[in-house]
Amino acid sequence: MFASINYEIAFVYLTSKLKQTMVAVLGVTFGISMYVFMNSFMTGVNDIQTDLAFSALAHIRVYNDGPGNNTDLVSKVYPKGTLSNIRSARVIQYTEGIKHSGEILSFLRKQPELEAIAPEVNVNVFFRNGANKVNGTLSGVDVENENRVFKSATYVLQGDWNALKYRSDGVIIGSGLARTLSLNLEDNVNVLTSDGASKNYKVIGIFETNIVNVDKTKAYLSIGATRQLLSKNADYVTDIQVNIGDYNQAEIVARRIAPVIPYKTESWLAANQQLEAGSRLRDIIAVAVSLTILIVAGFGIYNIMNMTINEKIREIAILKAMGFAGKDITRIFLTQALVIGLIGGVVGMLFGYVVSLTVEHIPFKLAFMTHLPMAYRWSDYALAFCFGLITTFVAGYLPARKASKIDPVNIIRG
Amino acid sequence: MQQEIALSASNIVKYFYQPESFQVLKDISFQVRKGEFLSLVGKSGSGKSTLLYVLSTMDTDYKGSLVVNGETLTGKTQNELAAFRNAHIGFVFQFHYLLPEFTALQNVMLPALKLARKSKAEIEADAYEHLSMLDLKEQAKKSTAKLSGGQQQRVAIARALINEPSIIMGDEPTGNLDSKNAQIVFDIFRQLAGERGQTIITVTHDEDFAKRSDRIIELSDGNLVAS
Repeated sequence: MFASINYEIAFVYLTSKLKQTMVAVLGVTFGISMYVFMNSFMTGVNDIQTDLAFSALAHIRVYNDGPGNNTDLVSKVYPKGTLSNIRSARVIQYTEGIKHSGEILSFLRKQPELEAIAPEVNVNVFFRNGANKVNGTLSGVDVENENRVFKSATYVLQGDWNALKYRSDGVIIGSGLARTLSLNLEDNVNVLTSDGASKNYKVIGIFETNIVNVDKTKAYLSIGATRQLLSKNADYVTDIQVNIGDYNQAEIVARRIAPVIPYKTESWLAANQQLEAGSRLRDIIAVAVSLTILIVAGFGIYNIMNMTINEKIREIAILKAMGFAGKDITRIFLTQALVIGLIGGVVGMLFGYVVSLTVEHIPFKLAFMTHLPMAYRWSDYALAFCFGLITTFVAGYLPARKASKIDPVNIIRG
Repeated sequence: MQQEIALSASNIVKYFYQPESFQVLKDISFQVRKGEFLSLVGKSGSGKSTLLYVLSTMDTDYKGSLVVNGETLTGKTQNELAAFRNAHIGFVFQFHYLLPEFTALQNVMLPALKLARKSKAEIEADAYEHLSMLDLKEQAKKSTAKLSGGQQQRVAIARALINEPSIIMGDEPTGNLDSKNAQIVFDIFRQLAGERGQTIITVTHDEDFAKRSDRIIELSDGNLVAS
């Protein structure tokens, strides 16, 4: 308990030069608040982008990846070197979509991570209204489950998402598609499949996801009506979209279930690596900028500590003459640096929170955003605090070590 | 009469290497008895201050051996020496070197708080006692920057005494003081050596001061001339 004399001296030094201490504290405060703000902002941006991505993307997608490579069937059956003469080979039977979807669905429903699952029948069709013709995707959906996976109902501008369930003659079309085909609610649109089937549907809703490509080419129909249009049985499915609790686990879950499912099982990450790249790059920028600020703050502390030590070099010498060991001197000055770091850290976290709150209120109207995105995560604050302490520790330790090595004889004899 | 030896220096040799190699102390050996009031004199450059700093344990760059209170100090680490100084040696310098941010009382308490042999309350009582002995009781709570030169030097002496060291070393302790204050400091030293049996070794230019001490050691060009 008597070693506290070192802390007492440190405290007196800190309070006797309040202005200098404040400047050092402010440096740390600024560094840490910027770290908190930058990371909160970048996390917010990443979250928004993920949200945007998941409006059109499930965490895991199961689909038929098309027929395998059938260009050289002979070698699969006959020994190597067998001569063959086959011209114009054709696949005469190929299963489109997912067979026995019921089994796969019930298998997927048993997975503990599963949150929502939606079977889809997606088909490329022509949408026609009079002379206008647009190539697009008709998506046959299980209305309720589709909404659970993609929150589709939130993107419906006109009409009602759930109406799809009850009306086998109704489609919900993208806003861009409606514009190109000059369609309004309750208008008729003709759908022409690649097999030549053609049917008229009523527009019972218009949606807008803000992803232009989707809005311009997509329409929803109930899954039963779509199967009917394609003359498929009630088990026919082309895609199974799965959402799990934590989308970061998608890759792991996908890899685990893939061997059991005889179709392609793909996580959102594998399908969209640019998303991951973008968010990683933003994280790197955020960390680089905020660490730079922290390092500058560290130099500030280093300078101030160095100045203090040069000023007090005689007092340090006399402390050593009186019997204070090198480690006592180190402790005195390191304590000062750490107190600066602690105060700066706490104030910096608070200030960072205030800055984040303020910036979040800046209007930013693009896509479905109304203001700048911001995320509040304990981990950002904790990391900022840790980095702040580490910086001040290093910035304080170097001058403190120098002080501990002062030779009292040189100083006192002049 | 056989008296205890407080400090014994044998064959102390020291070189300065800057700006060029130069032998400051040439094989110096002497002993100081307990309770002795010793003055180190000599012209400037004679090596008397250098010798004092070797004796003080702060300067460890010498050859020979140094024994204080029966403990061989040559070859100990800086930290061991610091702890030794804390408990056994008090310093008074030409300049007081008080910590200006602290009060006189706090300055006096510092070495004892470091030694941590007593509780804080006891240390404070001790510090008051030493300050009163030096007629400084009224100045105890004042910042040391607000004291006069003589008072500051007396606070520095109180600080040197707080741990009741067996040896007190002074590097021209009266060098910056007028004759009245110098006399006060001398009387204090006299009293300490006589009544408390504390050994005093001071470097001084003041011939009068030296003459009135128990023993004078004169250095000339790094050699002992008379003792």
